[in-house]
Amino acid sequence: MATPQTQRATGLWAGLQEKFTEQLHVRLESIVVLVGLAVIMSILSPFFLSVSNFMNILLATSTIGILAIAATFVLSSGGLDLSIGSVLGLSGVVGASVAVNLGMPTPIAVFATIGAGALAGLVNGWVITRGFVPAFIVTLGMLGIARGLALVISDGRVIYGLPDWMLFLGQGRPFGIPMPVIILIVVAIIMHIVLAYTRFGRHTLAIGDNENAALTAGINVDLHRLTLYTLSGGLAGLAGLLFATRINSGDPTAGISYELTAITAAIIGGTNLFGGRGSILGTIVGALIMGVLQNGLNLLAVQSYYQQMAIGAVLILAVFIDQFQQRQETKV
Amino acid sequence: MSNTTKKCAVGMAVLTWFVFSAPTSAEGYGILMKTLANPYWGAMGDGVEAGAQGAGVDYYIQAVESDQAAESQLNVCNTMLERQPVAMITAAINSTNLLPCLKSAQEREIKVVDLDENLDPAILDAAGIEITFSIGSDNVLAGAQGAEYMVSQLGADVIGPVLVIEGLSGNITGEKRATGFADKLTELAPGLEIVASLPGDWDRGKAANITNDIMTRNPDLVGIFAANDGMALGAVESVFAAGRGGDVIIIGVDGNSDAVKSIKAGRLTASVAQLPYLVGKQALENVKTAIEGGYVETNVIIPTLVLTKDLIDAGTEPLLEFVK
Amino acid sequence: MSLLAAVGIEKSFGSVSVLHGVDLTLDAGEVVGLVGDNGAGKSTLMKIVTGMYQADSGLITLEGENLLDLTPGARRARGIEMIYQDLALAKQQDVASNIFLGREPTRRIFGVSLVDRHRMKREAQAMIDRLGAELPVITRSVGSFSGGQQQSVAIARALTFEPKIVIMDEPTAALAVREVQSVLDLIRQLKSQGIGVILISHRLNDVLSVTDRIVVLRQGRATANLVTKETTMADIVSAIVGGGDVAVAAAHEARG
Repeated sequence: MATPQTQRATGLWAGLQEKFTEQLHVRLESIVVLVGLAVIMSILSPFFLSVSNFMNILLATSTIGILAIAATFVLSSGGLDLSIGSVLGLSGVVGASVAVNLGMPTPIAVFATIGAGALAGLVNGWVITRGFVPAFIVTLGMLGIARGLALVISDGRVIYGLPDWMLFLGQGRPFGIPMPVIILIVVAIIMHIVLAYTRFGRHTLAIGDNENAALTAGINVDLHRLTLYTLSGGLAGLAGLLFATRINSGDPTAGISYELTAITAAIIGGTNLFGGRGSILGTIVGALIMGVLQNGLNLLAVQSYYQQMAIGAVLILAVFIDQFQQRQETKV
Repeated sequence: MSNTTKKCAVGMAVLTWFVFSAPTSAEGYGILMKTLANPYWGAMGDGVEAGAQGAGVDYYIQAVESDQAAESQLNVCNTMLERQPVAMITAAINSTNLLPCLKSAQEREIKVVDLDENLDPAILDAAGIEITFSIGSDNVLAGAQGAEYMVSQLGADVIGPVLVIEGLSGNITGEKRATGFADKLTELAPGLEIVASLPGDWDRGKAANITNDIMTRNPDLVGIFAANDGMALGAVESVFAAGRGGDVIIIGVDGNSDAVKSIKAGRLTASVAQLPYLVGKQALENVKTAIEGGYVETNVIIPTLVLTKDLIDAGTEPLLEFVK
Repeated sequence: MSLLAAVGIEKSFGSVSVLHGVDLTLDAGEVVGLVGDNGAGKSTLMKIVTGMYQADSGLITLEGENLLDLTPGARRARGIEMIYQDLALAKQQDVASNIFLGREPTRRIFGVSLVDRHRMKREAQAMIDRLGAELPVITRSVGSFSGGQQQSVAIARALTFEPKIVIMDEPTAALAVREVQSVLDLIRQLKSQGIGVILISHRLNDVLSVTDRIVVLRQGRATANLVTKETTMADIVSAIVGGGDVAVAAAHEARG
């Protein structure tokens, strides 16, 4: 089985790349792009570089960031969850309803919010693994069902007036850091460790990479998938909680088309759309790239239509660079 | 050290150097709209710019991608505060989504103006937010004017079904117009029964569908009141497609350019014209007055005008100038 | 007692009946070749042994223990390994990840079970060295390796956990001459270690050179159980095709 010995990667850049990928499970290029973008924005606008603006960026990214974490897990396993935006809306409405209309204490409302999301995810996972219906279709259906259910529960109206303890989750600022940002960071760290360093995470990637390999390795792929979709729904529920507490209301129209933004962030961060590769840290960087772009363009008073074009362009560019690199690797 | 590393290092240094530097202070008015897609908001944007230019102040206008993007608007609002405007003039998507940002603005002593009365005073009180003033049309009055016109055309003794198409659920503007219309209608013509009052979410397509469904249920529909022109025009299409154009009185609210065209063509019956251009212009002028310490009423009402084919053709009404 | 015994295996996919009652035995240290034409049911039979498919009826035992209720993972843990024709590798993961997939070693940090990557890397490298395979940096994704290198990884995966039985499905089909000999040498090595090997292959020359017995599957039945030493190419071919122009077919096969 002798083959010509291939050269070890040379140069500081390639060396750094390998280190980042192996140790931290994140692509170095994504981080460089983020920093580069930040530098450009700070040159173009004097308002960009300030602690309070950075907090704004993190705060604006918090909801999408949690959704993107959900998307990363599901995409890494070769699946797809199009319902997370609607589930975000549904969860927020459920939580607000429990807190305001039913008058339940905050912990129960919080549990109900995340639980509603997890339940929706469980239903998704069940139909996908038992019913043999493709994930695209199941989650597309759930997208409509969850949104409709949110409108039914709320009677189409915003449910206003959450209790103080609950509001703290979205509007509190312990030590000057907004709570959603703290929650995002904690969840991101935990989820990064799960995906990169635990058996569950490695199996998730393997299932997306080659489902057959996972099956022959003795992994219970169906159960694993069920767990992933439930996790995705639960995270969407958490995002719904953050959203509702940020604007102090259960809004049935919350999260419309957020699933696409979340998937975009995951892909910009290096997740493979078809499965087998993904990193939470990368996804957060991807979400921040979008956040910095939007924030910077807002500060420069560029209309939101151009912002959408810019994000679309960044997405294509990110995937192009990624594909280019894959080619380079296999050429060696 | 390779080139890339050098660049990285320089970048890092620059970033660290600036992180805690204070940004240069700025003046100017921040104006946050919903979306510029609807001609109503486009006209208001024009009025705002005219007012600002007339007042000779710096300003920046932002909008979001749709009039349902609640969180987006909140994020943009927060970002606009970073530019340290002296006043924030906002048209909130619903009565609660901008509250954290407005609270923040208040803490930074930035004057807050409610453009087009999207905020609920009760909610503002509960949140402890004091706005400098709110300016807009009296939406309840606008709805009532719609009812008056409908009764004037149909007669006070007529019996028949009427459809009301509401705005986006939870939006106070839509609620006021619908309620204003309904109350006045009952008062003037008890024989005209509102058989359905459904939210059209400011969407032309949705309104068209609602109209179709209700016409199927009530083929003898005599009147439709829609809380904005976009939805009214959707209803118009459905009514004419069903061959009942001319048998149904259709009234919208806003008086935007699309509505005016439709009225001239004899399709839309009437629109209670808000004067968005005037609202925008006067909002800016009033902000300048407020900042210079002058007096501005807390609730500035801009009048509304019922636009009909006759009125437009005659062209003598002075307020027509502000219908863009 | 045989190491592995499959008795009366039947399997249908919908209305298509693939296996009509197949018997197969394997002893420790024995190399059995499994041959047959396309569609004869070779891969299906082996997937039933590893647990990927469920047999409709029949019995499978390993050292006397009934395997039928065990999941693929459990059977692997009992020492049944298979190297698939398409290798079943996760192409975007690295060598160590592939070798240890499903049985990653863990260590506890602050009460949480995390994968022990140092150990994985160390042991994977050791196994690769033992196989004498020359691979580029083992932390690169296996998708960037050549076909032969990828197969080394698949083989390493099968051998790392001290298997009792190794099943190889067309292991030499896509290899260069030198690589083919390496595989055959490996099979001989496994034999000498007392591991049972089942070799599925179209290349009858390879089968003749390395096996002790040859089982021929034809149309879902084991039609011949030949002792290799006493068998010729013509015998095998005639059993595979069951009549017809045996001489031509044998000549064709002899050319490799």
